[in-house]
Amino acid sequence: MRREPELERLYDEHAQSLYAFLLNFTRDKSDTHDLLQEVFVKLARQPELLGGVRDERAFLIRLAHNAAIDLIRRRGTRERVKDNFAAETISSFALANDPDEQAFRTGLAGALAELPPDQRAVVHLKLWEGLTFEQIAAALDIPQNTAASRYRYGLDKLRDRLRPLYEEIK
Amino acid sequence: MNHDDFEKRLQRRPLRQVPAEWREEILATAGQGAKVERRAQEQFGASSLVSRLSAILWPHPVAWAGLAAIWIFIFTVDFSMRENAPAVAEKYLPPPAEVIVEVRQQQRLLVEMMGSGQKGEAEAPKLLPLPRSERPFETLTA
Repeated sequence: MRREPELERLYDEHAQSLYAFLLNFTRDKSDTHDLLQEVFVKLARQPELLGGVRDERAFLIRLAHNAAIDLIRRRGTRERVKDNFAAETISSFALANDPDEQAFRTGLAGALAELPPDQRAVVHLKLWEGLTFEQIAAALDIPQNTAASRYRYGLDKLRDRLRPLYEEIK
Repeated sequence: MNHDDFEKRLQRRPLRQVPAEWREEILATAGQGAKVERRAQEQFGASSLVSRLSAILWPHPVAWAGLAAIWIFIFTVDFSMRENAPAVAEKYLPPPAEVIVEVRQQQRLLVEMMGSGQKGEAEAPKLLPLPRSERPFETLTA
């Protein structure tokens, strides 16, 4: 089958970020796969979407975020049930050899899972994507101040939740 | 715990890598999606042409049908006239020289016969001399 070179480039440059973002958002590998595929199918069908886009990464995260929101809305109650069983879901962090480090990463994944999805998305984009609040605001289609406040709230919750673990491995 | 220190500590945690096998699968599916989209656009192009035409013709269908009938009639008449044209042309072609010579011989024979029956009553009509090229062989050698 003939491949679109532009699509391959987009995948190679952005798939990792989108995967991490979606995995952190959905905490489900299968959903992450479906959503990532949905984003690239959309790009393949409508290549004009990227015309005039200044920040590809932010734009693609926006597409992925919208797709994830749609999925959650479609699922409705089922997704809320899944939220209550966050421990069963996949961590978005790589596995560590050191048990203490692995415990911290597991705790961090659990703490992130307890955040509301909106805060979780902002915290992920700020900490692991290194986006500015302006970029986050553009990606998630929210005001910049909202992005900043969500980040602060989310980070405070993470700190409270992780304090014992953090102090232990510090 | 220091705010910046905490953030840096979190940032250092590496994220899970996207499974390598997903690349092929996702790009193949996306490529297929692009092909389906292109086909749909081509079909849409054809159907939009039809819908545009029907939008133009729909307000007065009888008038357009009448116009089409007139054009069909014009083409039919034109075509049938073209078919008849060679026959008409053939009809008005001058008769061949042999026929003319034969007719004139017949006329001469008739005059001679009439002349032998009613001598002196009527003079045979004077025949115009034929061009040399049209004279029969016997006439020329006599």
